[in-house]
Amino acid sequence: MKKLERKDFLKIGGGAIAGGLSGYVFSGAPFQSLQWLVELTQDQYAPPGGKEVYLSAVYPGTRSECNLSVRMIGDRAVKIDTANSGGPFIQNALQLLYHPERIDAPLKRISGKGTVKHSAFEKVGWDAALNDIASRMNGLVSGGKGSLVAGISKEPGISAALLDRLIRSAGSRNGYYEPTLHTLSSAALGGYIDYDFMNSDFILSFGARLLEGWGDPCYMNNAFVEWKKRGGRLVHADAVRTRTGSMADQWLSIKPGTELFLALGIANYLYRAKGKTTGSADWAAVVNEYPADKVAQITGLTVKKIEDTAEAFSRARNPIAVPGRGGMEVSSSSAEIMAVHTLNTMVGTRVAGLRGIRGLGEPVLSAEVRGSLIKAKKFTGLDDFIKNGNFEMLFVNEADPVYRSAYGDALAGKMEKSFVVAIMPLLNDTALYADYIFPSIIFFEKDIGTVKAPFHPYMKSRNSADMIIELARRVEVIKGNFPWSGYRELAGGTGGAAAGAGYLNYNAKILKDEIASITKRLKPSEEFPLSFVPVELTFVGDGEGMAYPYVLKTIDDKTFSRGKLWVRINRDTARRYGVSEGERIDIESPRGKLGSVRALLTDTVPPDTIAIPMGFGHKAYTKYAKNKGVNPKGIMANDIDPLTGTANWWLTRVKIS
Amino acid sequence: MEMKRKWGMVIDLDKCTGCGACALACAQENNMPIFEDDSDFPKRVVFLDLMKVTNDRDAKYPDVDVCYIPKMCQQCEGNDPKNPRPPCVSVCPVVATDVGDDGVVSQVWSRCIGCRYCQASCPYDARTFNWWKPRYESSFKNSLNPDVSVASRGTVVKCQFCTHIWKRERDKAVARGELDINAVTYTPACVAACPTSAMLFGDLNDPKSELNQMLKREKGRKFRLVHTIDQKSEKRQEELKRIKNYPNPKVYYLSSKAWIKEMMKFK
Repeated sequence: MKKLERKDFLKIGGGAIAGGLSGYVFSGAPFQSLQWLVELTQDQYAPPGGKEVYLSAVYPGTRSECNLSVRMIGDRAVKIDTANSGGPFIQNALQLLYHPERIDAPLKRISGKGTVKHSAFEKVGWDAALNDIASRMNGLVSGGKGSLVAGISKEPGISAALLDRLIRSAGSRNGYYEPTLHTLSSAALGGYIDYDFMNSDFILSFGARLLEGWGDPCYMNNAFVEWKKRGGRLVHADAVRTRTGSMADQWLSIKPGTELFLALGIANYLYRAKGKTTGSADWAAVVNEYPADKVAQITGLTVKKIEDTAEAFSRARNPIAVPGRGGMEVSSSSAEIMAVHTLNTMVGTRVAGLRGIRGLGEPVLSAEVRGSLIKAKKFTGLDDFIKNGNFEMLFVNEADPVYRSAYGDALAGKMEKSFVVAIMPLLNDTALYADYIFPSIIFFEKDIGTVKAPFHPYMKSRNSADMIIELARRVEVIKGNFPWSGYRELAGGTGGAAAGAGYLNYNAKILKDEIASITKRLKPSEEFPLSFVPVELTFVGDGEGMAYPYVLKTIDDKTFSRGKLWVRINRDTARRYGVSEGERIDIESPRGKLGSVRALLTDTVPPDTIAIPMGFGHKAYTKYAKNKGVNPKGIMANDIDPLTGTANWWLTRVKIS
Repeated sequence: MEMKRKWGMVIDLDKCTGCGACALACAQENNMPIFEDDSDFPKRVVFLDLMKVTNDRDAKYPDVDVCYIPKMCQQCEGNDPKNPRPPCVSVCPVVATDVGDDGVVSQVWSRCIGCRYCQASCPYDARTFNWWKPRYESSFKNSLNPDVSVASRGTVVKCQFCTHIWKRERDKAVARGELDINAVTYTPACVAACPTSAMLFGDLNDPKSELNQMLKREKGRKFRLVHTIDQKSEKRQEELKRIKNYPNPKVYYLSSKAWIKEMMKFK
């Protein structure tokens, strides 16, 4: 046998290695490895399929309902079709329905307040939680402390009416609402105004950004389409050039915060030149003090512009004068609401009628509770109550007053020391101080009118109205006032009824006091020479949109980028203060300092004015909203209105550094 | 190429309130990836960008104006509509992007190698790059649309006029026994969501379509983004087209405001 040479050995070895390698390469194994690598590093998630079905649903508006359909794949909802109606908040509904941070069971706080971490709560059953709250409430009422029970609701509705009844049955007057035009005008005028925008041919808006989330966006968008078709005219008075101003037929660029005086000037013209009466003599005396030339000085408009606007308003067939400065969140003083609505009554319009809230009627009270009620101090509104009131037990119904109120910090301080029950689908800033949190359902999970809810309540969520009824039935003194078995029995029971037309009996003294207070604020001081007014992005609104990731994607980079909020400042003013585009500035008001914002130089805001976007700077409200930008409410004006009891925060005097 | 359809869009900026419903509906329909913080603007993934524009560089308060421009892929076709050659398609080395027989500039996520040439060549900045692995935290996965594949990290994505909805509608037509499936029309998610009907979608090949009727009617208000050639005479347009490939987009905008048209020339 031939001896195996070293060279042959190496050849055989080399051949084996080459063969093995080529075999490995041609076997496809390396490609398989690459495939695994790709799958490991990339998300190739494929959404599961299923049978396609469309479900009908209704979004409940305050003025009209918005019909929509939901595209289902199997049991998953994948799309909302609003068929050219609705607005951005309806498109967010699926993100809310499937939000990973939705509360799935009642939560009981087990550690200190000020956090909404999972470890701060334990999940409890509905019965155990309601029994605990009921026994505390029984204790308060039987101990003669029923007046220390309070409630804050987001807006009027069935659950809010039930909460009001619960509070009143306990012997307290402290049932409040977050400010909306509906609640503000109810406090100022004794009823809310039902505007028929669809049939109006002339709309005179006093800072109401009607096309930017104001009122019922679904209805307002439909009304806008109607105006375009029928030639309706929109005149918008506002200091900042917002989209509503740009879309209006005429924009009245008034000085910040002077809407009230413009309304008085127009009333003066209608009285003087057109012979329209204003109601009481006291009121006429106030209106007489504001002729067009004086109003022109205050508002910055020309006399001709004021008179032309008044003339056009008086000549229209169905005019509407509308207060409610802002978009989703509004701030108008009672004086301004009165002055603006006077214009409607002066021309006798048929499309802006005053309506009263019917509610659920007066509960039957025991002598003891009635005594407590008589002794209980009455506050005019939410901010008045937060500032001057006291409570030992607070119910928060879908609201977020810690975030939205100008007195949010004061409320948080009082909530730390009391027992707080909150009802909401996502843990918001108010939940930071709640002892119990109940998961509520969203509109998709409610029967609305004749349309059945397309979805079952999420996990252990319940209708907040049902929760309040169940709680009331466990409180001895109160249960007699809650004969209903549940929400369905009450559906459609709290709507408005006509409160009469004609002239209103305005309180001229309050008007005079308010005018004096607003006039004082309009004057720039040496220390705080600039005006600060709020602006909103429609899809962010008052901050409600920030919990939804697709909303964050839609925010432009000159409103919010890389964690920083941009505030808008007039170019010439910025130049005077040496501020350049994108520079970090501090804004300070008599109430405090708002730090870490960037300056956007723009002439869409008037000279000596800063416009700050609202809705940012949450301390909780999901990880998507938390710590993004700043919330200016803490530095905004907080003078409490004598009739509405809410802070008039629209105009704040500030300085920058 | 014989075009079965030539889908196009008109957006009436005089009717757009900037509410954002179009952008939200687009994100929901097309399975946009969800990140904890999408405020890092250059890196966010969206098909429809709601641009806010003002004329305040040229005008002083109070002569200023504010407008929103919903901007998505403009579905360019290049100089020759019979042989569409959009700027992005010309540069793609792997044919991940192409023009279909419906005129829509398509993009196949899984074929894309992430070179981003198309993104660089797009005159409208309408394409976005998936810098990160798309995440849909737990229950957010429930609302994902099975008709649109989830794009991987490292790929370029863009608006395709929701062409999957057309496929879906044609499948339904087949199931109903209809023979001419190309007669089927559809509405993209953004157009269906617009609460003021500011967006109109239709077939540019069909002279009777509402879209074409509107374009004929609105000669004074219509314009296209960054397309100054539209202002030249027909003869001059032909000359220019011989020396340069223009995008020739299929998305038209309407506005009565001269400053918007002037600004969109990007001089």
